[in-house]
Amino acid sequence: MEQRLANIWRMSVNEKKFIENALLSDHRVDGRRPFDYRRLSLKFGSDDGTAEVQLGQTHVMGFVTAQLVQPYRDRPNEGTFSIFTEFSPMADPSFEPGRPGEAAVELGRIIDRGLRESRAVDMESLCVLAGKLVWAIRVDLHILDNGGNLVDAANIAAVAALLTFRRPECSLGGEDTQSVIIHQPEVREPIPLIVHHLPIAVTFAFFDDGEILVIDPTYKEEIIMGGRMTVTMNTNEDVCAIQKPGGQGVKQSEIMRCLRLASQKATDITDKIKKAVEAYDLERAQRKIRRHSSSSAQAACGADIKMSKQVVDVTQKKIDGFKIQSKDPMNQEEVESDTDLENSNTRGENNSFQQVDEIHGKMKSVNLFTGRPSSWHPYGKGITSLSTCTSSVALSAPRAMEAEKKDTVALERPNESKLEKPSVEATVDDSHTKEMSASVQQVNQKKSLKDAVKVKSRKKKKVASTMVGE
Amino acid sequence: MASYFRRKKITFWPCGFRISGDTIVLAAVYGPKAGSKKNESPEKASIEVLWKPKSGQIGKAEREYEMILTRTLQSIFLSTIHPNTTTSVIIQVMHDDGALLPCAINAACAALVDAGIPLKSLAVAICCGITESGSIILDPTKQEEQEMPAFAYLVFPNSSLAVLPGTPPLIEGEPVEHGIITSVTHGAMSVDDYFDCLDRGRVASAKLSEFLRKNLAQSQIPNHSSKAS
Repeated sequence: MEQRLANIWRMSVNEKKFIENALLSDHRVDGRRPFDYRRLSLKFGSDDGTAEVQLGQTHVMGFVTAQLVQPYRDRPNEGTFSIFTEFSPMADPSFEPGRPGEAAVELGRIIDRGLRESRAVDMESLCVLAGKLVWAIRVDLHILDNGGNLVDAANIAAVAALLTFRRPECSLGGEDTQSVIIHQPEVREPIPLIVHHLPIAVTFAFFDDGEILVIDPTYKEEIIMGGRMTVTMNTNEDVCAIQKPGGQGVKQSEIMRCLRLASQKATDITDKIKKAVEAYDLERAQRKIRRHSSSSAQAACGADIKMSKQVVDVTQKKIDGFKIQSKDPMNQEEVESDTDLENSNTRGENNSFQQVDEIHGKMKSVNLFTGRPSSWHPYGKGITSLSTCTSSVALSAPRAMEAEKKDTVALERPNESKLEKPSVEATVDDSHTKEMSASVQQVNQKKSLKDAVKVKSRKKKKVASTMVGE
Repeated sequence: MASYFRRKKITFWPCGFRISGDTIVLAAVYGPKAGSKKNESPEKASIEVLWKPKSGQIGKAEREYEMILTRTLQSIFLSTIHPNTTTSVIIQVMHDDGALLPCAINAACAALVDAGIPLKSLAVAICCGITESGSIILDPTKQEEQEMPAFAYLVFPNSSLAVLPGTPPLIEGEPVEHGIITSVTHGAMSVDDYFDCLDRGRVASAKLSEFLRKNLAQSQIPNHSSKAS
């Protein structure tokens, strides 16, 4: 026991006095003003629902996962939401592995109150089969580095991860519509969660009998502070949660001041989060499409390419005539097949087009996603109605593009439903040989560019004409 | 001892440079801390590993990883320098896209070096897999791992450059280059295939250890100023 205590770092009296005296003249040890936040950096992982937050020295990661479970008996129509906080021993030598300590539990509770009890995340949309199956959303927060003010950083991580999380789409099927089919992400685009508002936690530290207050205390300030208060607010100026666990008493006027400050800070932080999430969404959408185009350029790279139906179809529409080479991780055989839009059978299994270098060069310059449908691509009336749909919705440019993608997916849905079963059974790991054999009945054999010219589809003809025209 | 007491360093080790996903593991080292673990002899230093998965409960798989990592690091760790101390290595999985254990071993090794803990040699880990067609691929992705009939995680000591040129490295009478620290296999493979894997793995680990040395040497120099605080 003494050995563990020996590993805890203690602050010297000199340092304590220094920090206190500096605060008396409104100086903080790291040079900030009393109501300034530290630098916030928000990064996302390659998986959906992974967020990494760095608030100064504090480093927190949030992961969101979802699972189908039985709902609670008293709430058969709502999904469940749970938060797990992990104070990793790498954050601080005093963090012990194993059961979460008081601080970990408190942190989890503050974030839980802010997100769940304020109904930030819509639970009813998570219901699949009332009374039987609902989605259980689980947020894992890992504290990787304790630089002070873990609550705020963890809250931002949780919120950002929830905004970028996509849950698999599932539909009811089977004879009595009682069985649920969960679609693979390659088959159906996963859906984001519905988040009504973003609760942001702002932590205040009190010193000198409640006279001095600062926002976003660092590790050392936390050690000497006399009291602490966390206010969770959103941009609508709703107070979602307040936590003041003991400590020095603070005047009512000071508390009101804190709430006003918290509201300002919440707005700032919400802006930052939204910007970062938008950038991530844009990059994610680009990544889905660019992945296929860049693979044709780098014929030798060993990239694993998971071709999704939607993406294939979207690429068909958006990147007409761009022939993409898909790769099997094991054997890099070039597979090429006809993807006639009208022929819904082909849409299911085939993935690839023939590589055309000269077009690829052109494509790179065009494939910049300005968010409007490609001009030479007459996907027919479908696109115009869709584009009016999307324009009527107030979305920013990257969202519009994503929505467009989703809308085009919606258009295909009736056709795709035929292919649901076989596609769901076909896992991503299917080798191309398998896919080809399945689609051989429906799909034609290898075609060259010349065949593309002959194809009945208007789309292909137009492409051919543009190609020929070049 | 004061030079690396409570020397903490978090090292980022991306394994596998792929477009669709990389295996990313974060490793942190604390120590040497006072006191050794319960059943360990106080005559030597002990090493403890904590494996934190990305999400979910800690189960048997995590315990297995911890054990493999502990044994691997024990073989390169110098346990006689600081008796009755514990060095903790904490591994946090950020993203798993295949070859997770080798990635973690490389990260832990880099973290130990960065923390300034003296080691006998570096442990360089690589994953070799045997495909259905019989060819050997290195560093497979998660999807490839699932499809392969067999794969092996191999850990080699890095090819040592002797401090004094001309002196041969001595470890139990065997030259360092030919040793294998750890081997964990999954699936069934023929003996010949296994030896093939070893050969390929050794060659790859030589390259990997060059890369490691170069990067660690570069990162040590600018870090001295930041560590003074």
